[in-house]
Parts: sequence; C-alpha cells; structure tokens
Amino acid sequence: MIDIAVRIIVYGAVVGGIWALVASGFSLIFGVARILNFAHGIFFILAAYLGIVLAKSGVNPYLATLISILFVGGFAVAIYTGLLARIKEHEVMVIIVTLAIALLVEQILIIIFGEHGISYPALISGVLRIGKTPITYKRILAFVVAVVVLALLELFIHKTRTGKMIMASSQNYEGALLVGINVDRIFIITMFLSAVLAGIGGVLYTQVFAASPAASLKALIFAFAIVILGGLGSIKGSIVAAFIIGYIITITNQFLGAQWAEFAALLVIIAILVFKPTGLFGVEE
Amino acid sequence: MLKTDFKKLILGIVFLVVFAAAPAFLPEAYVYLVGMMFLFLILVISWDVIVGYTGQVNLGHTVFVGLGAYTAALMQVPSRFEGSVDFLAGMPQAPIPVSILAGGIVAGFFGLAIGIITLRLKGFYFSLVTAILPLVFLKSVFVFSDIFGGEEGFSIGLERSLAGDVTLRYYYAFVIFLISFVIIYFIVNSRIGLRFRAVRDDEDLAESIGVNVVRYKILSFVISSFFAGIGGAAIVHYRITIGPDLYDIPLMLLIILSAVIGGLGTLYGPLFGGIVIYLMKSWWLRSLLPSIPEWLPINDDVILYAILIAVGVLAPEGIWGRVREMLRERAEAESPQST
Repeated sequence: MIDIAVRIIVYGAVVGGIWALVASGFSLIFGVARILNFAHGIFFILAAYLGIVLAKSGVNPYLATLISILFVGGFAVAIYTGLLARIKEHEVMVIIVTLAIALLVEQILIIIFGEHGISYPALISGVLRIGKTPITYKRILAFVVAVVVLALLELFIHKTRTGKMIMASSQNYEGALLVGINVDRIFIITMFLSAVLAGIGGVLYTQVFAASPAASLKALIFAFAIVILGGLGSIKGSIVAAFIIGYIITITNQFLGAQWAEFAALLVIIAILVFKPTGLFGVEE
Repeated sequence: MLKTDFKKLILGIVFLVVFAAAPAFLPEAYVYLVGMMFLFLILVISWDVIVGYTGQVNLGHTVFVGLGAYTAALMQVPSRFEGSVDFLAGMPQAPIPVSILAGGIVAGFFGLAIGIITLRLKGFYFSLVTAILPLVFLKSVFVFSDIFGGEEGFSIGLERSLAGDVTLRYYYAFVIFLISFVIIYFIVNSRIGLRFRAVRDDEDLAESIGVNVVRYKILSFVISSFFAGIGGAAIVHYRITIGPDLYDIPLMLLIILSAVIGGLGTLYGPLFGGIVIYLMKSWWLRSLLPSIPEWLPINDDVILYAILIAVGVLAPEGIWGRVREMLRERAEAESPQST
C-alpha cells in the first residue's frame, strides 16, 4: 500500500514536471503570438529522435542532447518565419497548417523509424530505493531538470529585458509596438523558447519511457488538457495544471492501465469546460 | 444574376449527366471507386457547413463519420454486443435506410452535446476539443474490441450492402449524395445560412443585431455532424466493412485538404476539391509512388500533407477561389465598360 503511494507520488511528480515543460512552451507561444500551435508535439518528439540518432552515430550523449534541443528551436523559427508569419492573421489556416505540419513530420518519422518505441541513450544510470519502490536516477534527473528549467524560465521572463518584452507583447500587442518593441523579433524568440521547452521535455520523456512517432500526438493531447485546466495563455496555470494532470495520468495508469490515459485527459477537459471554462488561472477573454 | 444562375444550371446538368452515364463507360473497379467518392463528398461538404460557413474549426469531423458508421454497422450485426451489453444484442436487424438515418441521428446528438459544451465558449476551445476526439474514439475501438472489432473492424455481410450489384450500388451512393447536397445547399442559402455567415464574419455584430450566436453555431454543428454520420453509415453499407480508419486522422486530413483547396464556405469549391483530391489519391498518387526513390521518406500521405501546407500558406482562400478571382480580373481588364 505504501509502495503504491510512494510510486504514485514520485512518478506523478516526474510526469508532471515533463508535461509542465511541454505545456508551458505551448502556452507561451499562444499567449504571446496567439498561435495555437498544433505542431508543438513534433518539437517534443524530433528532439528525442535526433538525440537518439546522433548518440548512436557516436556523438557524446550530452552533446547530442544539446544539439538536438537547439535544432528543434531553429526548426521552430524556420517554421514560423517561413510559413506561419505569412498567415498569422488567418486563424483557421494557422490551425490547419500547423496540424498538417505535425502529421507530415509524424508520417516521415513512421517511415524512417517504424511505429515501435525506441529509448533514448541513458544520460545517467542507477536506481534509488525508497522502501521497496525502485526509482531510477533517470526519473530523478527528469524531475530535477524540469524544475530547474521552469525556474530559469520564470527568472528569464520576469527579470530580463527580453523576458519583459515578451510579457509586454503578450499583454498588449499594439501597446508593445507603440513603446518600440520589435514584436516580430519577440515572436521569433518566443517560438524558439517554446520549441526548446518542448524539446527538453521530449528528451526527458524518452529517457524514462520511449520515443515513438505517436508520442507527438500524445504530447499534444496532454498539452491541451493542461492548458485548458491551467487557463489558456497562463504559464503559471500551465505549470500547476501539469502536475495535476501528471498525477491524474499516473493514478489512471496505476489502477486502470495505460490505455485509459487519453480518456482521463478528455474527461478532465470536458469537466473543466462544463464547470470552470476559464481554467484555474485563465482570464476571461 | 440570372446569367450566373443559368451557368450554374448548365454546370449542374453536365455534372448530373456525366456521373449518371459514367457506369456505362467505366470499368467496374472504377465505378466502385467513383461511387465511394460520392460518399466522401458528403463528408467534405458537411465539414464546410461548420468550418466554411460558420467559421468554427472542427478538427474532429471523422468522429461523427465513425460514430455514424459504427452505429449503422452494429445495427446490422447486433450480436457483437453479446457478453457486454446484452440487452442490445437481441435487437432485430434494422432495414438499411433506418440504419443510415440512425447513423446520422446518433452523430447529430453527439454533435449537440459537444457543441453545447464547447461552442458556448469563445475562442479556441472548440478546435482543441474536436482535435482530441478522434484520438479518444480511436482508442475506444481497441479498448472495446469485442464490440468494435479493433484494428481489423468487422464485416456486415454482403447481403446488407446497398445493393449486390456494383452499378446499382453506385447509383444508390449517387442518390444519397444528391439528396444530402440539395438539403445542405438549401440550408446554407436560406436565412439560417445567412446567419451562419453573419456569425462567421463578425460575431459581435451578429450578436448586436439579434442573432443568437451560440444557438446558430450549435445548429450548424449539429447539421454538419448529422450529415457526417449519414456519410459514415452509407460508407459502411457501400463497402460492407467497418474499421477504425473511419475515425482516423488521414481521412480527416483528406476532408480538410479537399475543402481548403476548393475554398472554404463556397460549397461548390469543396465539391470540386473533393472530386480532385479523392481521384488524385486513388489513381494518380498510386501510380506516381513507384517512381519516388526508395530512400526518400515519402508516401502518399506525406505528399498530401505537403500539398495542404503549400495551399494553406500560398492560397488560404482556396485554389478554386484564386482561379475565379483571376478570371474575373482578366474579364474586367478586357471590358472595363461592361461593369
């Protein structure tokens, strides 16, 4: 009984930390540029696959991780400047085009790697035991990295000049333009940050679980559930909601089985929309 | 005005004659394919009602297609409920028109429920929720595979198809399509359709002149879902088998691609786009694929997604709209006096 409790507490925190990274990235670009990025999941999964490929071809796993995370950041900037910036005013098309990008990348990954999961090269090994519950260092690493990155994100946004510009652009687009902020540049920086957050989440997730092309859509579903629970566009809400969703998923996995996780996510979303549509920290539009 | 109506009439008659006569010229396998295309067109034009005419991006249209399809299929093979939902297992086999209608009704009611929850909220909630639905329903097919048949799906038996003969089945599909098209045509061109467009173009303005925005969004969604269900149920009776592909995302993308290429909110555009895309996917792409070198990670889906991205970015108002605009500009340039 205590074993199960310990496992749920620890595993839930790990899963919550990873999804907090992914969802805060999703929330960031939505809040700042009003882009509902359905392609967010591919940054998550591309970073993982690229890291795996690089590490397999002999690159040091840490270096491989760094390269692949920066790569998805660059890829996101390319998608933004090449495609999304042209159709930003056309909300319907932004949704359709980003969804098409997501499916295109997923399809290519399926062709190259197959549908089966492959795991990320270990960045750390070893097992810690709390009572009878084994906890791999990988999970601990995932949690610690997630918390550190989220803290850095918080610092960056509130303490640096660029971070404050990002906040200003998200609060009032015209106002930011008026005081001389180069909003286009801010959008590009935000897109980069958003993808990097998803990329770190992807590497950590595939450390603990495994990389499969379908995981990108799964990441997207959980990101949706989290941002709806946390309130669209609120980063603080996303982080709190990610841990709630993380625990819901872990409990569902523990007692019902992994195939019910999507149902649980959907139920949470429906329940929030019925009872408190603005989410925990959202603002009325 | 009269002139364009006359043109439309001629086009319509040509369309009718060509497709009514098609089985006489086409080999049987192609007749089957074109018949299937008509049912696919129902899915495309019904999607256009909510997205093109009312401006609400529904990314889960295939959920309603699949719901209609599974409803119809299970009404034909109620024995699949044995051991799980026993009271349904004793259900008598429904006549085919009843099961197709039931598919539409079930899909429509589900649309009503989802609409009431999500469409009363402004913003992006509708798109987010409808995007998740197909994945959840896909999962349900595997989790409850005793009923839904999992990956392979199940067959309803040849004797429950629209007609044993391929040509006759083609005409049934054609008629189902025509009925759906005419009803949708009259709805979007009626006062109701006008309100749908008012909601799309300026929600606040529509609200201020007394249009109940939420109610019309939901109404539009229910109509759209109903016809998606009809289409799904008809597909089951056309091809006799049911499987999770009817819920799946490739079908969703095919619907989106057809409507976007044709131009959203025009009904004719998506119709035209649907014909082109369906035939392209079924004929042209199949024959093109072997010429792509093995090492390139490309299949027919990849090509279709890439086309969708290109069209979405370069011609968001649709290729059909683009062409029409260019023709009009040219005509105006040639005869500036006549306008």
